[in-house]
Amino acid sequence: MTPVEVEKIFRDEAGRALATLIRLVGDFDLAEDALQDAFAVALERWSAAGLPTNPRAWLVNVGRNKAIDRIRRNVALRGKQQELTREILLNASAPCENSDGVLDDDMLRLIFTCCHPSFAAEVQVALTLRTVCGLTTAQVARAFLASEDAMAQRLLRAKQKIRLAGIPYEVPDRDALEPRLRGVLAVIYLVFTEGYAATSGEDLMRPDLAREAIRLARLLDALMPGRGEI
Amino acid sequence: MQYLLLIYRNDAEYGKMDPAERKQMSAEYGVFTQAIVQSGHFKAGDGLQPTTTATTVRVRDGKMLTTDGPFAETREQLGGYYLVEAKDLDTALGLAARIPGAKSGSIEVRPVMIYD
Repeated sequence: MTPVEVEKIFRDEAGRALATLIRLVGDFDLAEDALQDAFAVALERWSAAGLPTNPRAWLVNVGRNKAIDRIRRNVALRGKQQELTREILLNASAPCENSDGVLDDDMLRLIFTCCHPSFAAEVQVALTLRTVCGLTTAQVARAFLASEDAMAQRLLRAKQKIRLAGIPYEVPDRDALEPRLRGVLAVIYLVFTEGYAATSGEDLMRPDLAREAIRLARLLDALMPGRGEI
Repeated sequence: MQYLLLIYRNDAEYGKMDPAERKQMSAEYGVFTQAIVQSGHFKAGDGLQPTTTATTVRVRDGKMLTTDGPFAETREQLGGYYLVEAKDLDTALGLAARIPGAKSGSIEVRPVMIYD
């Protein structure tokens, strides 16, 4: 495999792999870093030995081990008992339930967390593009015509809020599902309209954003089949 | 996690409530407080006297400055609070929505800082 092919597969699988890693390690930043580590290994391994049978499960397992490595390094640096407890828990958890059902649930959790109403609409869109669609921070910044530094700051604060405010990583239960689903659809619609009729920038249309919106809507439709509103 | 649910209301409108309305409201607060004590969410909670009774203290260059009134003049004022234990933000938001004052005022939900 060429690095370009590896990158394409990684891009297709990264969202779901990240969603599961976040649930396993309980931390957005740690999961993102671990997935990047796994990608580095994939570039080397897949180019030489070819694609594993289930690339997504491979990424989750390697990412999980990389996360454990990172926590271990942290423990060595700071000797924190709390971190150590987390590492033990992580080690004890089953290597990875690879059924597609579980991975799909994780993806839904990720979408609902990114579109939580305690974020401003703009932040919901940015978090979704970065985390669910797997755009780079630079690409998200371009969508908002913001500088990369400013966007990195905004995303950092949002991820801090997830941790500090205890925003849950789960699909809301039945009572709250309707309004929350409307919120998710509003985010997808915002991404689409920005692509269809860009409010700022030189281009009249931003097919890249419209494409991400359609991809998101298809994904949501596949994850929650039979819902008329999607 | 612990969350502080800050109850904001308009002091002027609150002052204009007639005795029957006031009684009704305090009965609703009683029911709500009982419910969250029983569900194990309740940690603490109090109502506050209106901002006309407030005094604000600042220390500048080692000197204490005292002014009358609240920290900031706003349309709604802090009228009371609950400190609750909740597993996540959604649970805390659900509790906040059940506070009787949420129907006329606003509830600000703030996670309590943990020192490790």
